[in-house]
Amino acid sequence: MNIKFETPRGLLEAVRNVNLEIPAGASVGIVGESGSGKTVMSRAAMGLLSGSNVRREGTVVFDGKDLTAMSREDVRNEFGTGMAMIFQDPMTALNPVRRIGAQISEGLRLRLGMDKRAAMARSAELLALVRIPDPQSMLRKFPYQLSGGMRQRVMIAIAISCNPKLLFADEPTTALDVTVQSQILQILSDLRRELKMSMVLVTHDLGVVAGNTDFVAVMYAGEVVEQATTTELFANMKMPYTEALLKSIPKIDMKSGQRLPVIEGRLPDPTDRPIGCGFASRCSYVQAKCTTEHPPLVDAGNGHLFRCWFPLGHSIARKV
Amino acid sequence: MRRKHTIPTYLAFGWLAVSAFLAVFGSFLPVDSYQTIHGDFIDSPPFTSGHWFGVDSNGYDIFSGIVNGARLSIFVALVSVGIGGLIGSVLGITAAYYRGKFDTVVSTGFNVVLSVPNLVLALALVAVLATNVDINEAVPTWRRLTTLVISLTVVIIPILGRIARAATLAWSGREFVVAARSMGMRDRHIIVRHIVPNVLPALIAVGFLAVGVVIIAEASLSLLGVGIPDGASWGGMIARGRNDLEYNPHALYFPIIVLALTVISTNHIGDVLRGGLDRREGRL
Repeated sequence: MNIKFETPRGLLEAVRNVNLEIPAGASVGIVGESGSGKTVMSRAAMGLLSGSNVRREGTVVFDGKDLTAMSREDVRNEFGTGMAMIFQDPMTALNPVRRIGAQISEGLRLRLGMDKRAAMARSAELLALVRIPDPQSMLRKFPYQLSGGMRQRVMIAIAISCNPKLLFADEPTTALDVTVQSQILQILSDLRRELKMSMVLVTHDLGVVAGNTDFVAVMYAGEVVEQATTTELFANMKMPYTEALLKSIPKIDMKSGQRLPVIEGRLPDPTDRPIGCGFASRCSYVQAKCTTEHPPLVDAGNGHLFRCWFPLGHSIARKV
Repeated sequence: MRRKHTIPTYLAFGWLAVSAFLAVFGSFLPVDSYQTIHGDFIDSPPFTSGHWFGVDSNGYDIFSGIVNGARLSIFVALVSVGIGGLIGSVLGITAAYYRGKFDTVVSTGFNVVLSVPNLVLALALVAVLATNVDINEAVPTWRRLTTLVISLTVVIIPILGRIARAATLAWSGREFVVAARSMGMRDRHIIVRHIVPNVLPALIAVGFLAVGVVIIAEASLSLLGVGIPDGASWGGMIARGRNDLEYNPHALYFPIIVLALTVISTNHIGDVLRGGLDRREGRL
């Protein structure tokens, strides 16, 4: 899939040649720093990018159906019941002037044709499912009466209300503090198992991915740069970028005053991508070839794909 | 956090309640018809027993006129703001929600209408629509009234439409609209259930201001002689009274004071509502 935005500064290539497969019932993590194209990709997959400046190429196949070839109406029928999405910021993704009950039961009534009473009863069950205490009184509350963690749970309840087969979770924990974060992730994993959903977990935190996904795709500058099963990726990392990303997570046993390793530099300008590897200017293993030729996505065997001329463990790869 | 209402707010609400009461129940009150001529009391000053607001040079009781005028003044204002607001917000909200060519056409239309001063626009419309080819034939009152309401509606459409469009632009970019789409909601449902409830407070606040604008416009048109004739509205009373300002100033004072109080009240309430709205926005 390619996603481009027409901007005054030229065509912005937000997502380039991404080919991802999400096996039924599996959980796939998409990792990358801000601006690497994670959110754009997941939204494009759901066809939620509207605007006259969007150019979408390629296909999105869901459940054997090509969404890009279907009519708007047919695609809409897949939303909610087929695929649903949890949004990044629970503060803005709930309508501030409507009660929680109305917002959860909306999908049930419109998409599943439940009557008001049944939809409300089901909404209370869904709230209990995402471990909200006293769901009955929660139904009557407005979003501003809820904490961030509670709102994110409500978001999850809305997303799963129509039993989707595939759930996109777009940085579901970014806006929350760490303790709430782990609760939310726990709820998501449990629900996925109970409801037998597939899940795409979009995040910038490799730590989040480690315990919650079966497969991981690492994105950088709009491309998938490394893709493997979660266990394979952490055991046998190929990309310097993935390694750098992992190193930049703060650890509890770090000495105080010790500097956090960061990835120097910035993402390349998406309207003017470099010819070579996008990460070359920031890579600590950079070689001459990296700046002149764009690395292809190669398979290391066992489905471990990576996009690097000199992967970690390669004889020439060394710090410069 | 809720700030207590201040005394002016209570007064404004109180005054509007009184005017609304007069507008609705005025004809049931034990007040003489505004067209009754009190021959013995012509030119009586205010505080004359039985004619507390005085009587004008034609013998019409001013208090009766004000009670009766409330009905037409407020009726005209509410109907034109209501219809104009409805049309304006439907246009503004759909234009902002769908964008594209439709939006360009609608907002250009709004701007064109807004570029003509309110009064000139209404005057032109009334002059064209409420005249007979044969000038000796009187235009019936119902037709003058309808034309007046239509003209004022046309004035209101872009005022409220623009507000609706701006508010919709702000709200439809919010994440919860995308979230509703991701659940497979139809556009119409999203507009009615998600956009309108958020846009409505802004519309109501500006709607109050618009009521003030319309009352003034109606009065001005009456003063110019194209509004409601025969002193049947507050503006009409001013129009009739201005002829003998020197002898009978009270015939003008009372309708002017009443008109001013009403407009100040609607403006004040519009401001209070808008202030409350801003605080609410700040919290979100």
